[in-house]
This record gives sequence, structure tokens and C-alpha cells, in this order.
Amino acid sequence: MADLGVMALLLGLALSAYSAVGSIIGEKRGMAELVVSARRALYMTTLAAAVASGALINAFVQNDFSIKYVADHSNTLMDRAFVWVAFYAGNEGSLLYILLTLSIITALSVWFAPKRLARSMPWTIAILAVIQLFYFGVLAFVASPFELLGTVPGDGRGINPLLTHPGMFSHPPLLMGGLIAITIPFAFVSGAMIAGNYGDDWIDVARVSAIISWGVLGTGMLLGAWWAYTILGWGGYWAWDPIENVALMPWLVMTAFIHSVMVQKRRGMFRMWNVALLNIAFVLAQLGMFINRGGPVVSVHSFAASTLGVIFLIFMLASLVFAFALFLWRMPEMKSDRAMESFISREASFLINNFLFLSVMAVTLWGVLFPLFSDLARDVSVSVSAPYFDRANGPVLLGIVIMMGIGPLLPWRKSSARSLKQWFMWPTLVGVLTIVVLVALGVQRPVAILAFGVVAFVATAISEEWWRGTAARHQAGDNWLLAWWRLVNGNRPRHGGYIVHISILMLGLGIIGTNFYQQRTDGALSLGESLVIDNYRIEYVGNGDESRRDRIAQWAEMSVYRIDTNDYSTEIAVARDEGLSGFTLENSEVRPNDELIAQIQPWHGFYPDFNMASVRSGIRSTIVEDLYVIPRDFLADGRISLAVSINPLAWWLWASGPFFILGTMVALWPQSSVERRSKHQKVPAAPDDNEGEL
Amino acid sequence: MPVVLGTLLALISVAVIAYPFFGSKRYRMVSERFITRELSRAERLRIYRKISDIDADFTSGDLTEADYQQQRDMLRVSAAEILRQESGASSSNSARDEELEKEISRLREQSAQPPEGGDPLR
Repeated sequence: MADLGVMALLLGLALSAYSAVGSIIGEKRGMAELVVSARRALYMTTLAAAVASGALINAFVQNDFSIKYVADHSNTLMDRAFVWVAFYAGNEGSLLYILLTLSIITALSVWFAPKRLARSMPWTIAILAVIQLFYFGVLAFVASPFELLGTVPGDGRGINPLLTHPGMFSHPPLLMGGLIAITIPFAFVSGAMIAGNYGDDWIDVARVSAIISWGVLGTGMLLGAWWAYTILGWGGYWAWDPIENVALMPWLVMTAFIHSVMVQKRRGMFRMWNVALLNIAFVLAQLGMFINRGGPVVSVHSFAASTLGVIFLIFMLASLVFAFALFLWRMPEMKSDRAMESFISREASFLINNFLFLSVMAVTLWGVLFPLFSDLARDVSVSVSAPYFDRANGPVLLGIVIMMGIGPLLPWRKSSARSLKQWFMWPTLVGVLTIVVLVALGVQRPVAILAFGVVAFVATAISEEWWRGTAARHQAGDNWLLAWWRLVNGNRPRHGGYIVHISILMLGLGIIGTNFYQQRTDGALSLGESLVIDNYRIEYVGNGDESRRDRIAQWAEMSVYRIDTNDYSTEIAVARDEGLSGFTLENSEVRPNDELIAQIQPWHGFYPDFNMASVRSGIRSTIVEDLYVIPRDFLADGRISLAVSINPLAWWLWASGPFFILGTMVALWPQSSVERRSKHQKVPAAPDDNEGEL
Repeated sequence: MPVVLGTLLALISVAVIAYPFFGSKRYRMVSERFITRELSRAERLRIYRKISDIDADFTSGDLTEADYQQQRDMLRVSAAEILRQESGASSSNSARDEELEKEISRLREQSAQPPEGGDPLR
């Protein structure tokens, strides 16, 4: 199978090269057959990538340990379900996965490209083919997943234990897929620029493909946070790690793009800005590939340093030069149709939100690259950690959430004082009221209270938008539900966006709760002992272990009780005096108001081959808070060492995911059948209507 | 076996990319006229969409009546002009107006807008 994989990669390389060169020569010399042939070659690269991927997957299924990649990332003990994960568990396989995804979305986007882009398509195809050529080349000559071992081992090393988690079936593919999918809008816009299509012809394709990549990347990041929360055993979900950041940065820029592209669609403005945003997003995606493939910035997620880092650095720099040279060349022709009339308008609010997104991106980029700069300047690599990102980005992110409430309430072009008063009255009132109520209830942390107020403001603004539109349709005779449905259906991009905004508010609630109000305690328990934190008592009631060839696993059985703190007033007072947020009880007798609410099973495994521990935290999750039990270690004296935290509103982090996906789908759903109907309308045909396949 | 499969894949690829040169179908590069017509159709659809959007904005109270009428008139004039260009001299003014009204009505029906001049919430 290795031979087949290598042949497929070499064939893909040749097809990509032919497609790139054929497209350009065919277009320049007016050779229609060559342009069509080059496009077909691009389609065939998908088959080549699929065959190479199939060969590697088959090698995993067959336990073909003569292939180094298979021997490094699987063994006979590996659950067959994890073959899919093992496929992209290492550097070479993940590159092949990226190539497969790129070739599929490339073929689909070229196949479904609108006819009006026919003049720029050869250039778009050439750009896509060159990018595929790069990946085929790297896989064929530098990082082949089909490298053979001189001596075939009896068994493989096994899959990285941290990857044996349900989230791994979707998190890495979505993240890598989202990053590489940014190539599509970039290629379409660049193709249009080269061909001299300065207008808005590319806008629909760019918008749709941008939203797809943005939605996929966003979902991938959220799944990654969930994976980190449940398996990494540090109690958090986002660490501002360089690899997390390099996924976040293009996502932020794409978020800015999908907002400002609305202004271009509606008002014919920001054309130049939108092209620049797509260029930045694409280059940042390449930066992510570079850092992930052995770049100089250390990350727990990145693959080992290798010559690949240099190759990806060169490709990133080439992308940067190409994108911005093209931009500067075509800039004079990309002027907006009209100027902004007022700074109190929806387009101005989009511009402000764009600057805020780019600010967060710039701050994050500086944090990611700082170790490099410090190394160059002082010969010491100084990395920045979470507090830098939290302090620098926190206020700007809050500003973005505020703009989520302000933007939709402002009309296009300009607004009057009367309308501002009318539209902002309720959201402002509810926001202020929320703050007053929280202060009156004695809730601590002013910044968090302010953030809750902002969330209430935005939620009311969205509700008001829906209320106004629904009421207008209700007045016209629809029942309330139908009126709301028709409102959403009438402008899916806008209302899909509001659903995404709701998901961001839910995410915001989770971030505020877990960042500002988390309680933590540590302890070591013997069997029969309990640990008390806030109004929970966690009793260690049993344990188990399992020794397998690849791991030594241990787990604890724990009963979780909700307690009445009055029953424990003496112990709580002592703990408070000592400045502790929790305490252990040797005697676990059930007190009068103790209520058994859950059984949890925190799990701890050690993998000698990887010299790596992996945990599954015991989590009892509710809409209000998570009780989160991390099994740090099973001690030699029979005790279990635990870290326990209460994570308020953590549930909302994960609940936001379905809303994010739903909103993205609504925004993406084809807006109307007008286009389809219009194709059949009777506009008299021109004499040379038949243009062949082009 | 893998080598046979690889060779087969290569042969299929060559056949697929060589077909445009040797097949019976003839190809031509797209003409300026074709592109112009496609662009014009796309622009017309964009204008219909904009009309639908401002109808929704007006209904929801996002646009004042004066702004709404002004924008709508401008868009209708643009759409009519594009329709005129698309249909050449073969259709009359009234036929174009009828076509335009039909498209706008379809859009309105689709988003179930109240009749023109509907009472915005203020």
C-alpha cells in the first residue's frame, strides 16, 4: 500500500503542476481546451489525494508496521475506531489530511463557481493548484507518511494517549479543515484581482466560503476547549497557547470580514478593506501552519521541530509577498462606490468592530511572536503567558460584545437622535438594571458585574430587533410564530448572525463565570474520607485499577452530596480562619441535610511507552455550575490526591456550540430562490449564448 | 497490486485531462458579451435583494419613510435600466416595468412583507 500512496502523491504533484501552468498559459493564449484540461487536472488531484489517504488508512487497518508512520502512531491494542484519529495524529498524516480537505473543497468550489467568474477562474484555479502543489511536494519529498522501516517491528508504539478522546474525532479535523479552507475565499478574490474584476462579482463566493471556513474553525476551537477541559486535567479550557492563538487569529480576522462584507454587499463600501482582510487571514493561516510544523515557538500542541518549519516559513513569506503585491497593484481600482455619511450608522459600527477584532489579533500576534523577538534582541527567549493576553485582550473583547448590541440597532447611512433614544432605551435600561440587581445581591467583582450588564444589554438588543420585526409581521396578519419565522427567513444572513451573537453571549457567560468566580481546593483522601467545598461534599467510596500492556489505569468511585452549610458551620469557620476554600473530613457520616446528587468516576492513566499521564476528570455539570474533580495521582499509601474546583456557568460554554453551528447554518442557507427563478425568466437570449464548457 | 492500481490511476488521470483536446466537444473562451450579460444578471439580482432588504428594514422601523422611498426609487431605476440593457430593444417599457414588479412582488411574498407603505413600528 505504501507504493500506491507514493504513486498517488507523485501523480497529484504532476497534476497540480499541470493545472497551474495549463490554466495560466491557456488563459493568456486563449486556448480554451487547455484551460478546461487544467481544470480537470485540478479535479483529478482530489482523486490522487483520496487514494493516498485511503492507502494510509488501509495500512492502519491492516496493522502494516513496515510503514514508519503506522508503527509510530498505532499498535495492535489500539481500538479500531481510533484509526481515523491515528491518520492525522502525526505531522505527516495531518499534512495528508490537510491536503485531502483542501483538494475536496477546491474541487467543490471550482465546480460550483458561478459562470460570471469565468474570466477570473483560470487564475483562481492556478492559485489553488499552486497551493496544492506545495502540499503534494512536501508530502512526496520531505514528510512522506509512506516512509518504510528497515526492520519491521512486531507491534507499533501506539496512539498518543491524549488523543484517545471522543473530541479528537472532530476537533483536529475541524481545526485543520477550517484553517486550510481560508484558501478558498483568498484564491477567488486573488483570481478576480488578477483578472481585473474589481467589482463585487466575487463577493458571494467569498462570503459563503469565508463563513464555511469561519464556522468550521470556530467549531473546531470550541471542541478543542472541551477536549482540554475534560482530558488535560488542569481545570481550564483555554490557555492562550501559541497553537490555540494561531487558530484564533485568522478566525478573528475572518469574523471581521464576514461583518464588513455585509457593508460591501449593501452599500458598495469597504471593498479594499475586505480584500486586505482576506489576505491577512490567509497569511495568518500560513503562519499557523508554520508554527505548528516545527516553527520556533514552543507549544504543547506543535509537532517536533524539523526542516518542515523552514519550508513552511518560506511558503508563508511567499504568500505574504504575493497577497500584498497583488493588493497594492490593484488598489487604485478598488475604490468604494460611496463615502460614509455618518459615524452613527451601522456601517460605522461594523468598521469599529473590525478595528476591535484586529486589535485583539494584533495583541495576540505580538504575544505569539514575542519569544522570537526577545530571542533576537536579548538572546533570551521570553514567552508571555495567560495574564498578558487576559489583561490586554479582555477589555477589547468586552468592547466587541458591546458593539454586538449597538451595531444591529443602528440604521444604515445615518440615524436621528429620536431613533437612537427609542432603540437604545430598553437595552440600556435592562443592562443597567442587571448591574444594579447584582450589586444589590452582594455579587463581588466589579468587572464581572459590568460584563454581565453588557451581556444583558446585547441580549435585550437582539430581542428588541426580533420583537420589532415580528410585531410588524404580526400586524400584517401572521400569528406570532409564523411572523418570527418569516422574519428570520426573510433575511437569513442577518438573523443567522443574531443566533451566532446569542451563542457568543452564552460563551461570554461561561467565560465570566469560570474566570471570575471559580473556587478551587486540593486534598488527599483515604477511602471513606470526604472533601468539602462550598455546598458540596465529595466522598471517596471505592477504587479500581487495570493494567494493560500500554497503560496502567486507576479510577476512584466518588459520591457527591449537596450539603446544608449550617450542618458544617464549625468546620467551615475553621477553614475560613485558615484561608482555605475547602477542607477534608475523616469521618464521612451523612449529616441530616446531605443529599446524594451524583456518582462520579475520575480516572487516571499512565502510559509508559510515552512516559505520559492522561486523566478523565470527574465532572458533575449543571446549568449553574460544574463540580470538577481532577485525579492528580493515586498515592502509594492508598490515598488519592485531588484538585477540586467549582466552575460557575461552565455549562454555557459548551451549550453555545449548537447555537453557533445553527446560526452559521442559517446565515449560510441559500437566501432565496429568486436566483433560480431568474435563470428561467424570459430575457431574450443573445445570438452567441452557447459558450461551451467555459 | 498497488503498482497496478497506481498505474490505472495515472492512466485515468491522463485520459480525463486529455479529453478536451481529443473529444468531440468544442470549447471557446468566454466572450466579453457573455460575461457582461452574466454580470448584469448578477447585479440585477443583487438589486432585487437590496430592495427586499430595505423593505424589511422599513417594516422593522430601521429606515425612515423618506430614506426608504428614496433608496427604493433609486434601486428600482437601476434595476429597470439593467433590465432594459438585458432585453435590448425587444421589450417595451411596460413589459420591463411588469417584469420588475413581478420580481419585487415575489421577493415581498417570500419574506411575507406587509403591503408597500406598511406601518412601521415607531
